[in-house]
Amino acid sequence: MDLNTVIRQFIVENFLFGEDGHLSDEMSFLESGIIDSTGILELVSFLEEKFGIAVADEELVPENLDSISNVAAYLTRKIGSAGLPV
Amino acid sequence: MFSKSVLNLDPAAEANRISEFIREMVVRKFKRKGAVIGLSGGIDSAVVSEICVQALGRDRVLGLFLPEKESNPISLQYAQQHAAKMGVEAITVDITDHLESFKVYERRNAIVQAMFPEFDGSWRFHITLPQDLLEKDRINYHTIITEDKGGVRRQERISGSDWLAISACQNMKQRIRMMQMYYYAERINYIVAGTTNRPELMQGFYVKYGDGGVDIEPIAHLYKIQVYQLARYLGVIEAIIQRSPSPDTYSLPVTDKEFYFCMDYEVLDILLYAHKHGVAIEEVSKETGLKPEQIKRAFRDFAAKERATWHLRQLPPSLLEH
Repeated sequence: MDLNTVIRQFIVENFLFGEDGHLSDEMSFLESGIIDSTGILELVSFLEEKFGIAVADEELVPENLDSISNVAAYLTRKIGSAGLPV
Repeated sequence: MFSKSVLNLDPAAEANRISEFIREMVVRKFKRKGAVIGLSGGIDSAVVSEICVQALGRDRVLGLFLPEKESNPISLQYAQQHAAKMGVEAITVDITDHLESFKVYERRNAIVQAMFPEFDGSWRFHITLPQDLLEKDRINYHTIITEDKGGVRRQERISGSDWLAISACQNMKQRIRMMQMYYYAERINYIVAGTTNRPELMQGFYVKYGDGGVDIEPIAHLYKIQVYQLARYLGVIEAIIQRSPSPDTYSLPVTDKEFYFCMDYEVLDILLYAHKHGVAIEEVSKETGLKPEQIKRAFRDFAAKERATWHLRQLPPSLLEH
């Protein structure tokens, strides 16, 4: 399963009650209202647990966390694309 | 031409307008005999109580002081001074026992202790948002800051689930105050007067069925700096005017700016006004001296907070009108 799919699955299951709807990989979670900032922190906890990373305070920026693509790119930068436990 | 002066009031005329509104509500709509108001020692309740006295007379206003063990002691002191200055009857109801009975402190402290194992309940703590809202694009997250008996501070970011659990505990404070206010109001056929101002209302900075649980909101149309203008006109005591606005629900003092808004009210009010009225960013920039990107960040934050709290400003949705 690729990163985008793992992230999408978490978002759809946790915030959309399983309804994928029109969620595109580029859609802003915050501006589309899919997730609020508390939800982003829920996502952060998921990433930390699933990928064994620590997300620093200064990494809590939209560029890293505000869409499926941004999260995937952030994860790739953070830990590389190889050996991800997905 | 957009100008900060748009928030300037004629305080005498505004006080009269609100006073008329209160009389209309209490006497003709609710058909009650007076108003109960929670006196927190802050500027909003000071202004509302002053205008209630103007509208109804001091004998028809009952003040309630509702402290708990984590309230800043100066709040009660200021509230008492102000009630004495107005000459209204005021009752103190310490809500600590109520909170204990709901295990509010115990449940909340267990969460804090899981983050800081040495935390023993004698430490003070508060929660803040990062204060660089205007300076960089970032996502809001809460940080807990503890202070031990020796004054040593420690801090850690709170997870989403811990923040929800702590909030659920903290919100009990306002909800128990609401219950007390209705008890005292109903037994003498008074209304409960609220103290929510416009930035709080617009941005959802109040507790549903807590401080938002009231019969009327006499200053919900006023920006905070307008509340200050009225406070000076009405003769609110200087100590209350000078203190920093605070939710006063954490043992370690924290301001509204640190806890929720991330900017001073002078900036917040004019930006909220501009946001609400669709003023062009260039005009806002010219008047405030803020850079366009700073204003855009503020507007994005306003929109996010408004979205997250939309339900506070509505009756519970139902199928009644469908």
